[in-house]
Amino acid sequence: MHKLRLKFSKNGPIKFIGHLDVMRYFQKAIRRAGVDIKYSEGFSPHQVLSFAQPLSVGATSDGEYLDMTVNSMNSIQEVMNSLNSVMNEGIKIVAIAELDEREEKAMTTSYAAKYHLKFRENSKPDFDWVSAMKSYLAKDNLPAIKKTKSGEKDIDMKPMILKYEFGEDCLDILLMMSSKVTLKPTLLFEYFFRSMGREFNTVWLDIHRVDIYRDFQDGEKTYIEPFIPGDTDERIYLND
Amino acid sequence: MNHNLALTDEALLTIEKPERYIGNEVNSVIKDKGQIDIRFAFCFPDVYEIGMSHLGIQILYGMFNSYSDVWCERVYSPWMDMDALMRDKNIPLFALESQDPVKDFDFLGFTIQYEMCYTNILQVLDLSGIPLKSDDRTWDDPIVIGGGPCTYNPEPIADFFDIFYIGEGETRYRELFDLYKDTKKKGISREDFLHEAAKIPGIYVPSFYEVRYKGDGTIDSMNPVFDDIPRTIKKEMCTDLSHEFYPTKPVVPYIKITQDRVVLEIMRGCIRGCRFCQAGQLYKPLREKDVEYLKKIAIEALENTGYEEISLSSLSSSDYSKLPELIDFLIKSCNEKKINISLPSLRIDAFSLDVMSKVQDVKKSSLTFAPEAGTQRMRDVINKGLTEEDILRGSHEAFLGGWNKVKLYFMLGLPTETDEDIYGIGDIANKVAVEYFETVPKEKRGGRTIDIVASTSFFVPKPFTPFQWAPMNTKEEFLDKANKTRKGIMSQLNQKHIKYNWHEADASMMEGIFARGDRKLCDVILKAYEKGCVFDAWSEYFNFEKWMDTFKECGVDPFFYTTRQRADDEIFPWDLIDCGVTKAFLLREWKNALAGKKSMNCRQGCLGCGAASYGVGVCTESKVNA
Repeated sequence: MHKLRLKFSKNGPIKFIGHLDVMRYFQKAIRRAGVDIKYSEGFSPHQVLSFAQPLSVGATSDGEYLDMTVNSMNSIQEVMNSLNSVMNEGIKIVAIAELDEREEKAMTTSYAAKYHLKFRENSKPDFDWVSAMKSYLAKDNLPAIKKTKSGEKDIDMKPMILKYEFGEDCLDILLMMSSKVTLKPTLLFEYFFRSMGREFNTVWLDIHRVDIYRDFQDGEKTYIEPFIPGDTDERIYLND
Repeated sequence: MNHNLALTDEALLTIEKPERYIGNEVNSVIKDKGQIDIRFAFCFPDVYEIGMSHLGIQILYGMFNSYSDVWCERVYSPWMDMDALMRDKNIPLFALESQDPVKDFDFLGFTIQYEMCYTNILQVLDLSGIPLKSDDRTWDDPIVIGGGPCTYNPEPIADFFDIFYIGEGETRYRELFDLYKDTKKKGISREDFLHEAAKIPGIYVPSFYEVRYKGDGTIDSMNPVFDDIPRTIKKEMCTDLSHEFYPTKPVVPYIKITQDRVVLEIMRGCIRGCRFCQAGQLYKPLREKDVEYLKKIAIEALENTGYEEISLSSLSSSDYSKLPELIDFLIKSCNEKKINISLPSLRIDAFSLDVMSKVQDVKKSSLTFAPEAGTQRMRDVINKGLTEEDILRGSHEAFLGGWNKVKLYFMLGLPTETDEDIYGIGDIANKVAVEYFETVPKEKRGGRTIDIVASTSFFVPKPFTPFQWAPMNTKEEFLDKANKTRKGIMSQLNQKHIKYNWHEADASMMEGIFARGDRKLCDVILKAYEKGCVFDAWSEYFNFEKWMDTFKECGVDPFFYTTRQRADDEIFPWDLIDCGVTKAFLLREWKNALAGKKSMNCRQGCLGCGAASYGVGVCTESKVNA
């Protein structure tokens, strides 16, 4: 048995496929590829797939993660090739890592997500949002009300923003995304617009998730890096 | 992958289920527009999840796309939120694969599976910017063609179609496409093209047939306007299904659809001859597919789709002669791959119970019986072979096997029905409960008990059945009968174990009007659509009052089509179509029904229905009683 973590991208029209449907898509793709995946026990056995974090409908990504266990395989490369040979163009497996048996699920160990944010072509704001956002993010605290299943909660978004950098008409931002604390880009933009006395519609924002990170301890220091780091990914140290 | 969607991201994010409109599903076909001659938009006029579940489109989609000069794409009815958005933003309806406007296609084909989708056909034409009436179309518009069971009486929608294709689609489309290409090369008129098309077997061009009516509203005559086109259009049929195209790479949707599995069609046609059943007559004669061919197709389709379930499809799977061999094979190969097998309603007997216990959880699944009527007399009238003894014996064996849920299906409003037949429904349900208590002693029930659901639908007489002459009940009669059924069940000793469901009467009445309707209904349907009627098959949108108002405005009496008893020699609107069984045979069966006389099934002996003229299938087998 091998415990595997797959990293995949989701681009193009496929971005409109919802989270549960992506799961169903993978279940079929795994069967088409003939991957020897482990099934659950019971009268109607099903594949056990576990995703790191759902991606909202309409968002693209280059760093989604999926955990699964296979009974047998020749090599990681072979699993990757056979899956990619049956994938739709919009979803591509970009890396696979074999995990230790005791490794926790990506779902419970994710810490943060990096986003590349801009406005959709037909929904660009009629003001210099980059400058305005710069001053908004520079504030000491960023109060917001977060709607949860159990009701509404007062939060400060500021400590949930780990790092950011502006580009031309776009924003790269690292936001907390763990089982305890999660900040969605749409909430941040909603309160940013509100701070300017403007209405915000979530469909205007073009969200691209760059990667999902987990945290590690290095002595006294905490650093984060992607679940499956690429050659160019560096550790990002927090609280310095 | 097609990245150029017809709708903006913002639009797609404001509507329900954007996945309905983005195409790009696994196994959908993309071709190079420059390399093809014919673009065919194939529409199922209902929402995506329903339309994608239909086997017929998957067959023809695969077959058309196997032609190098044709690109077939899919179109479904935009849901009401999308309908509003398209009208608001002036977005023309598009096909899923290319996302190009439907109006630019060469053909727009509709498969017409039920009467209640007629206004949806108009919605699709309207949103595409295609004139609703055939008369108003030019070469700038696609050729609008209809097929499927409702086109065996296409008259209520005759004005909206250029062509109807009568029968199974596999046989004549190639010929039609070649004619179209030839026409375009020569530059002849649209009308001349239709005239040539009308000479192809199975092709019905309604505008070339003139209908005259008598003073009482019935038909006086129906004649072709040209001498060189047929007086009646004979159904097209595949003679060798084991060598026909079958889709082993069906399109796999992202969202959950109604039929979310590989569908394996094992045969066409039915030997049973139930007198209320239209499909039983339309698809005669029964033609089985070769079992080795089916095994191969099943494996290929599962491999190409990755589906976790396969289902057998036919009108009566128990009549497939190699069923045990096929099911054995499927159980063996599917178990390895953790694939579920979903069995259609099989006749309940030792064999089917054994199979069902292997493929489903006995505790969760239920047994289904369709006695259709409450007394043996009534079942003889409708020629339904199932007896009370069959039901009780089947239930007994099933209860021993651990089942405790039973579904019973009945119809109300059948010809010659009396109160005794209606109260008989409660009697049967009660006897099934008694059978349970007698079969399973208290200590073996493990806290479980018998759970019976009895459902009734209202009988709608259909063309090309022996009941095409029969009067249909009114809404009031239907509701009265449903009430009596409920009372009958409530008065039973075991009534608390029996749940009763019944259908809506309004929708049944509409279905009855359209089913045996004539061309006078075209105006009513058009007007009702203009008044906002659409998605009539959906109870949340169906507006009966609006329909009744429209009938009044158009001066058309809806009851002319439903409650009237037809004379033996009445000319029916659908007499233009020859479905393979003769009117004389149907009339004989109608008389047998009224006399309470049962008829043999096709394997017991030949009733001379006329389908033997095709010289295939069960008609060529030797008979038990021969």
